[in-house]
Amino acid sequence: MELLDYGFMQRALLASLMVGLVAPAVGVFLVQRRLSLLGDGLGHVALTGVGVGVLTSSAPVGTALVAAVLGAVLIELVRARGRTSGDVALAVLFYGGIAGGVVLLSLAPRGQATNLDAYLFGAITTTTTSDVAVFAVITVVVLGVVWLLGSRLYAVSDDEEYARAVGLPVLPLNVVLAALVASTVVLSMRVVGLLLISALMILPSAVAQLVGRSFRSTLYLACAIGVVVSVAGTATSYYTGTPSGGTIVLLAIALFLAVTVAVALRDATARRRHGRRTDVHAAHPHEHGEGCGHRPVPHGDHVDYDHDGHLHAPHRTGTGVHYDEHSEPAVATPPAGRERA
Amino acid sequence: MSDPALRLTGATVGYGDVAIVRDASLTVRRGEAVAVIGSNGSGKTTLMRGALGLAAVLGGTVEVLGAPVGRLREHGRVGYVPQRHTVSGAMPATVREVVGVGRLPRLGLFGRPVARDRAAVAEAVDAVGLADRLDDPVASLSGGQQRRVLVARALAAEPELLVMDEPTAGVDAASQAALAAVLARVSAAGTTLVVVTHETGPLAGVLRRAVVVDSGRLTYDGPLSGAGPAAGPDCHHPDEATARPVRGYRLDQPRPAPDAARVRDGSR
Repeated sequence: MELLDYGFMQRALLASLMVGLVAPAVGVFLVQRRLSLLGDGLGHVALTGVGVGVLTSSAPVGTALVAAVLGAVLIELVRARGRTSGDVALAVLFYGGIAGGVVLLSLAPRGQATNLDAYLFGAITTTTTSDVAVFAVITVVVLGVVWLLGSRLYAVSDDEEYARAVGLPVLPLNVVLAALVASTVVLSMRVVGLLLISALMILPSAVAQLVGRSFRSTLYLACAIGVVVSVAGTATSYYTGTPSGGTIVLLAIALFLAVTVAVALRDATARRRHGRRTDVHAAHPHEHGEGCGHRPVPHGDHVDYDHDGHLHAPHRTGTGVHYDEHSEPAVATPPAGRERA
Repeated sequence: MSDPALRLTGATVGYGDVAIVRDASLTVRRGEAVAVIGSNGSGKTTLMRGALGLAAVLGGTVEVLGAPVGRLREHGRVGYVPQRHTVSGAMPATVREVVGVGRLPRLGLFGRPVARDRAAVAEAVDAVGLADRLDDPVASLSGGQQRRVLVARALAAEPELLVMDEPTAGVDAASQAALAAVLARVSAAGTTLVVVTHETGPLAGVLRRAVVVDSGRLTYDGPLSGAGPAAGPDCHHPDEATARPVRGYRLDQPRPAPDAARVRDGSR
């Protein structure tokens, strides 16, 4: 493969592999917590860190990491205070972050690498060897923390009030999650870019939740999708000469649309095919069950319920339960009452 | 023999510095099954949230299982069933995963579930009658079944005190009966129940004692059958209550204007 002959491409592909794996692993918790845009805000804050790094001639990855983690902790503390001004405080932090970054970068002495576009939208030629080393450490740390605390992060993201009531350390866990997001943002700053990283955290999770059944399988699927779109997008940008970040995100959006359409089609055809074989109640608000007041009638491998002379067979699908009409005039009884639609 | 499950001594509970419940004194002994009744905005939910550490104790003391609220050393001894109509969050999750969350307080900060914990989760799901749905996505369950998943989540920690917020609201009759049967078993096993509700009918066979909250004050504390002026004949026959769904008396019916003006906040 030609693109592997270049050192910069090897480094870019390595970086995209890592960010593709890590971003969704953190992003699923943000989606669960309905805080999808936290990554975007921290990307803004990280830009100030980049500016400081360029001005002081230190590695911008390191200073961006410090700025983003500090911003993340600050955001969680502001949120925890729960004042109505929290929203405004976040806006001040985010826009202050990007404005500070732009101004600081403009002050950089001539001859410094100050390509703002590359930081914001990603570029494949910018990843240095030391960046790869830092990224590898961030990857290991973030994945390690997710492995160690994943179920707690899920609990807090899913139902914060419950977590508080049963004594889980809610604030520390939220701070840890925000710090993970900040680290992921920095990991992204070479190939995806600070303004687009949020997309790589959210979109793979959005695709995975369309097909996943459990949180764990959704998490794994999101990571797999992230790796595929990230590496494929980086490789594509080599051939098309487009910014890698934008290419990756467009690829992810295309996948999201394709899967959305595919799932909708699958559900529609399954419903139509099912509808041809047996009568289906369009809406049945009552849930049949033990002691529901309707006479249970054993029917093959399942139990029907005698509902005013109609035999209703519960049919469980991924999205809920509906009732099939199993009364006599119906066509030959479908073999199972619980096949997946 | 041991500390009471819940003891409030002149407790004032609220949010920020706004007091919602004032000067409440109440002792719930181990193994009791108590209904906390009141109209919307009466402060019954705030009272319960104070006992869970979710609302601020502004005066007096609130002790849970012998320790000031929030200071209990071992977590998992208090179970909580919030008032939520659905369990499903943004991401898919199976019944096993949601109920597994309830076991986390028993595991400490870094502990991983061992066989005993997995068994507790499976038992809790079995107790609410959803054993065959263990690996189904919660989104595929009906509203009443999802409420039972929340009960199972609380039971997974094997709590000594179980606090529930409106467990029967918006649940169909079959699920209400199932829920009542679950709570009867839990109560019989020695777990203390505190149920915040505005309709005691469905649970009349389980709950023995009632505490009525009105405008932030405790106005009644005694047998469930004697609570409230509207106690209908249903409530004098608690044995029948589990056999068939009964309409409970509701204290949150529309009221004349002077009271209606006061009916605010409280429940959040």
